[in-house]
Amino acid sequence: MPEILALFTYSFMIKALIASILTAVLSATIGSFTVLRNLSTMGAAIAHASLAGALVAFFFGVEPAIGATILSVFFALAAAYSGERGSGSMDIALGVTFGFSAALAAFMLSLTREYTVVAYSYLIGEVLGVTDDELLLLGVFTLASLILVLIFYKEIKFITFDREAAEAMGVNASLFHYLLIVLIAVTTVVELKVVGSILAVVFLVAPAAAALEFSHSLEKMIILSILFALSSSIMGILISAVYNLPASPTIGILASLIYLLALVFSPKRKCCRI
Amino acid sequence: MKPLIKLENVTVTYDNRVALENITFTIEEPAFLTVIGPNGAGKTTLLKTLLGLLKPVEGEVIVLGRDVRKEAIAVRKLIGYVPQRERIDPAVPVIVKDVVLMGRVPRVRPGFRLGKVDVEKARQALERVGMLDAWNRPFSHLSGGQQQRVLLARALASEPKLLLLDEPLSGVDANSQEIILEMLRKLVDEGVGVVMVTHDVNPVIGLTDYLLLLNRKVIGFGKPLEQIRPEKLNILYGRKVEIVRMGDACYVIGGDSHA
Repeated sequence: MPEILALFTYSFMIKALIASILTAVLSATIGSFTVLRNLSTMGAAIAHASLAGALVAFFFGVEPAIGATILSVFFALAAAYSGERGSGSMDIALGVTFGFSAALAAFMLSLTREYTVVAYSYLIGEVLGVTDDELLLLGVFTLASLILVLIFYKEIKFITFDREAAEAMGVNASLFHYLLIVLIAVTTVVELKVVGSILAVVFLVAPAAAALEFSHSLEKMIILSILFALSSSIMGILISAVYNLPASPTIGILASLIYLLALVFSPKRKCCRI
Repeated sequence: MKPLIKLENVTVTYDNRVALENITFTIEEPAFLTVIGPNGAGKTTLLKTLLGLLKPVEGEVIVLGRDVRKEAIAVRKLIGYVPQRERIDPAVPVIVKDVVLMGRVPRVRPGFRLGKVDVEKARQALERVGMLDAWNRPFSHLSGGQQQRVLLARALASEPKLLLLDEPLSGVDANSQEIILEMLRKLVDEGVGVVMVTHDVNPVIGLTDYLLLLNRKVIGFGKPLEQIRPEKLNILYGRKVEIVRMGDACYVIGGDSHA
């Protein structure tokens, strides 16, 4: 135990812990709405767009988070707009987003060898290498997103449960739907440094999906989801530090394991067990 | 006097086909209107047109004295809407009080929280449908009929001037059906307009003020006993429909019914 506590005398460990906590809280909150609104596939597609955006920005000497935000928000809104136009359109838009983002990322990678290290850090995350500037940006994004959720919580909750009635009774459902989409995009950008684009969707979806198995209210689901995400983050960092394992994949694996355990012990699925 | 609902030569297209054609009818005072017709007749499309969610390619839609095309949001804030229960995802974890309080959301500006008054209105609405005991119960734990009553309470909590209901009797037990219909009748007597879409006309024949027979076009509109005629119902459903009359009451056999 003292050895583990000694790890936190290093500033990079403290920064990693803060980054993980911020990401866990945001991912779990936005992830709850992502799961309930069946937007997991969109989360995965947007995570790829974040990666491509970060690499393009890096190539042009701009802060990667800015490129990731612009591209992920653009593709997220484009896919959501297509989805509003008719059934099946969003699937196509997400497919194109997936393909285009992967192609763009691969293209940027081929331009210079220097990219390999950078790309790798955005692909699987590099939580132990979070800088002060990145931590500040992460904090601003997380705080702004959570404040927006708090301000518009009752409207987001209504459209999550029954968008048709919300719209019919005068709530601007499209506006809040698009707001949620932008928040998912911002969350994938926040996750980029901590868990990387490949694991972003796991971190977005797994804690929330696990929490859903034990929840009968949205508030309980969000709180449980935050607890699951925090557990996998903190445990992931500690395990990786003690056993010299890569931190981000460890976090991703733990989040997935929590989901699997939730499925096994879910009170909602008791009726289906033999 | 401003009409409750007035449709004048309304034509609506949906997915590149004509869903409603040349619809014309007027209801002046708050009343109970029941819309019947077979599947695909345009019943839900009519509700969406009244809400301004679908724009007619032709014609005029007046709801609560306002032109829906110009004042859709203002009109919607005066309407309580009860959707088809089957369209709600039961996986979303919500407590009954959350559902009923959603009816108050359009009354409170974005960024502001629901207050004590909203909670009180929600409790009163739930009490009116006989479900106050379920205030803290998970919505998914309720029976179909109980869920439908909670959705009705949500619409009532918004203190509507007009209530639109899409198949509220579908998959509902007899007790809940009776409570829902009694409640709707009471609301009309209190001055709230009610438009209800249903497959099964029989439970409402004695309660509704007007009947609209809809199959893309208006097949008939007027007092229920004037509309329950074999020649009209045969056209409406495209097959032979029998009507059993007992004094002032009548029963339709062979119309669309979920029962």
